[in-house]
Amino acid sequence: MMTLLADTFWGTFTGPFRRKEFFQQLYFVANRSLFIIVFCVCFAAVVTILESSFHMKMVIQNDAMVPGFAAVLILRELAAIVTALLLCSRVGAGYASEVGTMQITEQIDALKMLGIDPINYLVIPRFFACVLGGILLTVVSNMTCLFAAMMISQAYLGYTPGMFISSMHRFVQFKDVLFAVIKGACFGGVIPLVACYFGFNCQQGAEGVGKATTNTVVVASIAIIVIDFILSYTFSYLY
Amino acid sequence: MIALTVHILDEIGGTLLFLQKILSTIFVKKLKTHEIFVQIWKVSTESFPTTAMAGFFVGAIMAVQFAMPIREFGALGFLGGLATSATFREVGPMLIAFMLSGKVGAFTSAELGTMRVTEQIDAVRCLGADPMQEIIVPRFIGIVISSFFLLAAGLMMSVFGGMALSQAFAGVTPEEYTRHIPTIVHPLSILSGMLKSLVFAIVLATICTYKGYTTTGGAKGVGRAVVATAVTTMICIVVMDWFTSFLGDVILQMVRGYRS
Repeated sequence: MMTLLADTFWGTFTGPFRRKEFFQQLYFVANRSLFIIVFCVCFAAVVTILESSFHMKMVIQNDAMVPGFAAVLILRELAAIVTALLLCSRVGAGYASEVGTMQITEQIDALKMLGIDPINYLVIPRFFACVLGGILLTVVSNMTCLFAAMMISQAYLGYTPGMFISSMHRFVQFKDVLFAVIKGACFGGVIPLVACYFGFNCQQGAEGVGKATTNTVVVASIAIIVIDFILSYTFSYLY
Repeated sequence: MIALTVHILDEIGGTLLFLQKILSTIFVKKLKTHEIFVQIWKVSTESFPTTAMAGFFVGAIMAVQFAMPIREFGALGFLGGLATSATFREVGPMLIAFMLSGKVGAFTSAELGTMRVTEQIDAVRCLGADPMQEIIVPRFIGIVISSFFLLAAGLMMSVFGGMALSQAFAGVTPEEYTRHIPTIVHPLSILSGMLKSLVFAIVLATICTYKGYTTTGGAKGVGRAVVATAVTTMICIVVMDWFTSFLGDVILQMVRGYRS
């Protein structure tokens, strides 16, 4: 896995960059996943508002700080990680089955025969498409999540959007958005690396492809959660 | 757009009819207890490390996130109670169920899809047995039971993870961390977490068996079924999360009589 990462970085500076493939992958990652992610994140925002109001009532007996608190939670954690896990199950599984099928039908060996570096041909466009797509999708899901939270806080708690924004103003800084973008980029970069690693090491037969897909989803999810923890801890020193 | 809507409604209807068929099979025909235990054992042993690790880190993330705003109020004593309550009620079941959907759901739908594509399910029917009774129902019950217990174990691990990491990074001792858990974590919160776990387990089992059972189109179809299972399960989990939260809120208002 680490060798693949190093090869990817090395291959960025050598060899031609396949622009057309990159844009195709970006379309697949970003545009085709947009609807699902926006849909899921809206529901997650609703749950966050409900639960944080419950907690605030329990601990400090009023819910004046719910909007700010929920906005902080959304910006720092929720939107980025829900986006990343959805991308992982959708894009990661797709890439793993694609590359795994290429491996067992010997298309990758054919590429090597023709003198084309498979990492340059397959991994690099996917890697950059996923990093860029992760950034864009994280920003979009953050904004959607905040918008949904605004609507729900008006419906359930009676806060107008103006009150919501002014409450956000106390808690949220521009740094939060920046850190969310960094998180999205890191999560996006993990997914194709894991998927291509398991795809390249795919065993023979249809069972091998299934195993590679399952392994990809599990390993990428755990890697995303662990990286999320490390990044959260690192950023907690920078506020 | 219209075609997409029709397709989505088609899938929802098919899944619900399939669930109805499963339930009728459970209550009408004899259960294969041995097969059920084999499935429970398989799913549990395969997925326990994944679930435990995911739970540990989910608890740790929540504790670290809550430590920052709470430190401003100087209320670090409440950290354990708040992080545990949030994990139990909201974030924990959802994230751990995401993990499980990647592991259990993908594995089961791949297995059933391979059986369908290689005509093993038709072979069972030719031999005069009911494939629902022999293949689907044991897997369904096994996945429901083992997922429920795995989710509960993951929630327990999340408490432990929050404790360990807040000791290491926020300097909250385990005594301090656990002191306010009984005061803040209401029994109903634990009940709502368990309810969510049960609902997620049923959703996961239904979708992965349905997608595996209705696979068409050879090896490529199996790959498509696996991806579709993961994505659909996640969407349904998020929607059911909202639904159970709403239901829990309503029940809580009935029980305690507080008005928001």
